[in-house]
Amino acid sequence: MLQLIANGVIIGSVIALGAIGLTLAYSILRFANFAHGEYLTWGAYLAWTALLGFVAVMGPMTPIEPFSFGWPLLLSLVLAAVVTAGLALALDALLFRRLRRRGSAITLIMASFGAALVLRNMLQFTYGAVPEYYSREIQVAIRLVPRDVLGGLRVTPDQLLVLGLTVVLVIALHLFLTRTTLGKAMRATSLNPQLASVTGIDVDRVIRATWIIGAVLAAVAGVFSGLTVQLRPQLGFDLLLPLFAAAILGGIGSVYGAVAGGLIVGLAESLSVPLVGAEYRAATAFVVLIAILLVRPTGLFGEKA
Amino acid sequence: MSALSIEALEAGYEPGLPIVRGASLTVEPNEIVAVLGPNGAGKSTLIKAVAGLVPVTAGRVLLQGRDITGRPAHRLVHEGLGFVPQTENVFVNLSIEDNLDLAASIVRAPKKQRLAELYALFPDLARQRRLLAGRLSGGQRQMLAVARALVGAPKVLMLDEPSAGLSPKLVGLVFEKLLEVRRTGVTILLVEQNVKAALAIADRAAVLVEGVERIVGRAGDLANDPRVADLYLGHNGRVA
Repeated sequence: MLQLIANGVIIGSVIALGAIGLTLAYSILRFANFAHGEYLTWGAYLAWTALLGFVAVMGPMTPIEPFSFGWPLLLSLVLAAVVTAGLALALDALLFRRLRRRGSAITLIMASFGAALVLRNMLQFTYGAVPEYYSREIQVAIRLVPRDVLGGLRVTPDQLLVLGLTVVLVIALHLFLTRTTLGKAMRATSLNPQLASVTGIDVDRVIRATWIIGAVLAAVAGVFSGLTVQLRPQLGFDLLLPLFAAAILGGIGSVYGAVAGGLIVGLAESLSVPLVGAEYRAATAFVVLIAILLVRPTGLFGEKA
Repeated sequence: MSALSIEALEAGYEPGLPIVRGASLTVEPNEIVAVLGPNGAGKSTLIKAVAGLVPVTAGRVLLQGRDITGRPAHRLVHEGLGFVPQTENVFVNLSIEDNLDLAASIVRAPKKQRLAELYALFPDLARQRRLLAGRLSGGQRQMLAVARALVGAPKVLMLDEPSAGLSPKLVGLVFEKLLEVRRTGVTILLVEQNVKAALAIADRAAVLVEGVERIVGRAGDLANDPRVADLYLGHNGRVA
């Protein structure tokens, strides 16, 4: 039982980080970006490339005890986040910005679906379809709770790090949105873009900030997923539906909703494994989603339209 | 030097379909000028084009002699042009205080001092500063919208139909407040459907028809000008 909850929270934190970007882009740009999952995949693979580069230059790395990886992976994560942000900005400049000027919301959604296919196939073309790992080190899980208490609990240090960093990032984002001028400008733009611009807010700058934050968090989520599971070209695509479920369940447009939604979806997936089997766990996220939307159509933290 | 000078402005949402078709108008420092005209005359488009919200295809706009044609809306705020949209002109999910506070952070105004000045000008807002803007009555919401636009201490304040949706009594209150705002040294350009109320506070007015100013004159003269009534009755200013 405890083990399932812990697993759910770890999956949930990856989903939450991914869902924040999705919900932010929706709140500012008013469209559901189906290419967002690919930012996770690209972030994960870019970090892997950077890691190979570091290893090639500096020789094999020694892991930082007790983790399975060394400093190069953390540096690679930073590099991957920067390049993924660049990728998101480039996609906006090439595609979304042009369509925003004259297209409708559905045009943008279909375009993002197409962009997702292109990004995924480019990645598979570059890296191949064989799963990869950041580290082949075998990590011994730490027993936190003995087996006779609620089934016991074992987690790897990597998993604990993922959780800890997720908490840090969510708090940092909260402070950014509530304390900084750019953060306040983002909130104002999500409430009313035209009023924001006549209040003196550069909406284009806000849009760039939105893509950067969303892509950075997506890259981190991708690396976390690669670290705790493995790297596959479908990594982001497989997470896309849970990301949407989390964002919608939390109330689309709400950052806190995305975090709560991510945890709920992660827990629902994990807890349903003994009940319905691992094959059907993805469906349970949607059962929970439908149940919550029936009671609260705007989602947990959603504002009334 | 005029506070605001609009020269042969052409503007519209779609390329090749101008709604404002060569309109010209000057507003002198500390004047109140009203833009009047029948529905669909292009009044709102004119003011939005000046505010940087509608693309300008020809002509010029000068703010205190500086060419500001086609600058994006957010930059104009920093250059001393305030704009109050007709609808959705306050952040309804934020309190009165947060609305003003946000505007002050964006324009980097000396926050405490500027907000104190505005609360002195709008005592009704000061009394309930924690109230959500979405819960304000129409009149108070309009006051907040004006206060929000004034945070950056604009030289010229433009308002798009400030009387829209207000009872006659509230229109009177809002327009009296505009006279007070003018006394603080602000030049005002407003677009109005409510001819009587607008002419009561304006120094001068222009009647816009089909995107061009047809009659420009002193407010008192226009109030008694039979041509103004004609334009409103749908003759479109064409002599049959």
